[in-house]
Amino acid sequence: MADLASVIREECNPPMLSRDMSYHDITDQISSVTEWKKTPKQWWILITITSSLLLLLLAMLTYLVSTGIGVWGNNSPAGWAWDITNFVWWIGIGHAGTLISAILFLLRQKWRTAINRAAEAMTIFAVACAAIFPLFHTGRPWRAVYWLFPIPNTYLHMWQNYRSPLEWDVFAVSTYGTVSILFWYTGLIPDLATLRDRSPNGLRKVMYGIFSLGWRGSSTHWKHYEKAYMILAGISTPLVLSVHTIVSFDFAVSVIPGWHTTVFPPYFVGGAIFSGFAMVMTLLLLSRWALHLENIITMRHLEVMNKVILATSMIVGYSYGTEFFIAWYSGDIYERFHFFNRITGPYWWAWWTMCICNVVIPQFFWVKKMRRNIAVMFIISITTNIGMWFERFVIIVLSLHRDFLPSSWGYFRPTWVDVCTYLGTFGLFLTLYLLFVKFLPMIAIGEVKSTLSAQNHVEHVYAHYLETYEGAETKETHGLA
Amino acid sequence: MTTTASAFDVSPELKRDLQRVFTPALGAGILLSIASIVGAIYSPGDFFHSYLMGYLFWLGLTLGCMGILMLQYLTAGAWGIMTRRTLESASRTLPLCALLFIPVAIGMPWLYDWAHPDLVKNIYVLRHRAVYMNPSMYIGRAVLYFVVWGIVMYFLNKWSLEQDEKGGMEKRLAKLSAPGLLIYVFTISYATIDWAESLENNWFSTIWGFLFVAREGLAAFAFVIIVMALLSRREPLASRFKPAHLHDLGKLLLVFVMLWAYFEFSQLVVIWSGNLTDEIPWYLHRFATSWGWLGVMLIVLEFIVPFLMLLSRPLKRNATALCCVVGLIIFMRWVDLMWIVMPQYYQRGFRLTWMNIVVPASIGCLWIAVFVWQLQKRPLLPLLAPNLEKALEHGE
Repeated sequence: MADLASVIREECNPPMLSRDMSYHDITDQISSVTEWKKTPKQWWILITITSSLLLLLLAMLTYLVSTGIGVWGNNSPAGWAWDITNFVWWIGIGHAGTLISAILFLLRQKWRTAINRAAEAMTIFAVACAAIFPLFHTGRPWRAVYWLFPIPNTYLHMWQNYRSPLEWDVFAVSTYGTVSILFWYTGLIPDLATLRDRSPNGLRKVMYGIFSLGWRGSSTHWKHYEKAYMILAGISTPLVLSVHTIVSFDFAVSVIPGWHTTVFPPYFVGGAIFSGFAMVMTLLLLSRWALHLENIITMRHLEVMNKVILATSMIVGYSYGTEFFIAWYSGDIYERFHFFNRITGPYWWAWWTMCICNVVIPQFFWVKKMRRNIAVMFIISITTNIGMWFERFVIIVLSLHRDFLPSSWGYFRPTWVDVCTYLGTFGLFLTLYLLFVKFLPMIAIGEVKSTLSAQNHVEHVYAHYLETYEGAETKETHGLA
Repeated sequence: MTTTASAFDVSPELKRDLQRVFTPALGAGILLSIASIVGAIYSPGDFFHSYLMGYLFWLGLTLGCMGILMLQYLTAGAWGIMTRRTLESASRTLPLCALLFIPVAIGMPWLYDWAHPDLVKNIYVLRHRAVYMNPSMYIGRAVLYFVVWGIVMYFLNKWSLEQDEKGGMEKRLAKLSAPGLLIYVFTISYATIDWAESLENNWFSTIWGFLFVAREGLAAFAFVIIVMALLSRREPLASRFKPAHLHDLGKLLLVFVMLWAYFEFSQLVVIWSGNLTDEIPWYLHRFATSWGWLGVMLIVLEFIVPFLMLLSRPLKRNATALCCVVGLIIFMRWVDLMWIVMPQYYQRGFRLTWMNIVVPASIGCLWIAVFVWQLQKRPLLPLLAPNLEKALEHGE
């Protein structure tokens, strides 16, 4: 029975949070990051770099608008290339946030509480980065509102094509952005009130006061809050699937070999979660190390995330394999050529990079030691994002560069504007993240406390369980007395 | 709360009830099998078409339950502890399913164009696939799939029994379930390409594997809910299986309903938009003829109605009401498989013969008999499962 007890304690229910933490410790530790008396030098260095990249983005977009989208490398036959690759990549990165905040909430996965806030923030920032590409791909973004949204106008004499998934995308992505912001903000309200209450008088107190909407933490407030949070989780859940499904339809409803394939919707969703988790992992590891959050973002959280990365890696791996098999099985010469071209054509290096990064490298996570090794998980989170960028590149550029007519075949090369714009979106993403870390609680204080409360309760139940079987002594030896 | 092993054993009243199901199921299974064999002699084509449909349905329950069994070890949810023994018992019908594959193998010439050498010679796509899709490879692969599933099933059940005796096996079971689930998804994808996708020569769809995983998962989950609702009328579950548990199962059923509909919709919209001559005939056979009514039924009765009903909280906590929805889903699973298999043979329109009902029912009666027999063999709750207390407490 002693064996059983240790299994219960250590393997099936290892503590999510450090046992010697109190509610006050949690509030103190998380709030203190936003209450720096003197902002560390490192933060200033980082934001200088990221805001320089942001300026680069602004410069590139200005150049693009003033010159025309010819400054991007898109040209026949690859009319979509670097830009849409980046769009799909960034929008995919956002998915982890929604999955962690909504789906894992509905599945009562308590471990999400330590990481959901930062992941949700990343979702919003990633959607902002993603939106830039299709918007500027129109060439005249100030007119895009008429092209994209069905706003009655006599100005352009045009109306949207509702049968086009590109139009569905407009609604999917804008809904996604809106709901993500609402969800994130709703979750922030109690924590903003905490910061308000801790702030000395001044601008800080006023601002937190305005945004915490008069939160007093009464039981009525909590009751309404929990109901609203649950409803928003319910609304967000289909969005995890719908957004990337519709992105996949952008390609799959065509008849181009490499695009027209039925597995695209789940394959894209799986890939989005895969890359999203990898990005969350990269930034969380850095934040955890820089802000000393090891007792809140524990190894248990990281290990579970690595398991999700492994599982989603298998989904994309399965999809790669099935696409190849069915291309052969169909007997269609175009399909067969296309997939042969992926491996042996001029872009062979892109396909192999994708496979190695997305399918081979994550297999290390089958080993527990690897799942719990910070260096390994950091490297894999980076290689995964490289691999997932290449996956979109392979799907988009490789399917277009050699189409049905060999006379129109070409070879896409990005221009310097393409590359700099992409780098610039990192500037936007990371600048927003750094501002978020400085001004908002990057971990959901209220939710982590509820996890601590649940953990204490579970331990109480096990203590009772052990006492029943083993007597008070065993309970003591397990530190539960 | 203290519990002893015997507290979870099948109670004498339940045993009597189960016996009341076992004997008639076995008897009906034998009688219907005899009727099916007579039908096979009289009209082998009809028999084998109906047999494949029925076989895919009941094998789907076995494998679906095995998949969910592995899923619950991996996720370690309270719902998993309560349903574990039902899932295990369903997985132990696998040897019966392996045996029942023999008629499918015998029926190849009646089922598949690629089993006819003259057709293979004349049709390009069959000639192209012949190296992979031919009778001996088909049987060889089936044997491989059953061996692999058998190994996974054997250890899942063996270690679970050991867990009951001495505990401490949960981690090992979870370790088996991770690759096991992967193997299940991979093998069922390729198995159903062989058994169902290859029915039509001009049909290929990359989502087919995921779609079958969702189809089997949905059927299995619906089946588990019915069984749990019935078992909870008697001890040991009467005092332990609470509306909160049922509620959770209802929610997860809703997830499977949506997942299935999502995959089906994805396939339909991609094929419909492409409208390619190589692919679209599959849907034309199923929507442009009177079979289309079954397609509409699927959309309405397997998605819209269950979806709307399962949104209701009181319904999910009421065993009778939930079982009505579940019964509808199970019936629609049978309709779906009919819609997948039959239009290939009856391309002019809907046709229903007595064998379409009797043959699947004969397999089903035998399956249920084996399932009920297996269900009595072990306590209905895993006594030493680490989360058992939590699971029981969840219902309170």
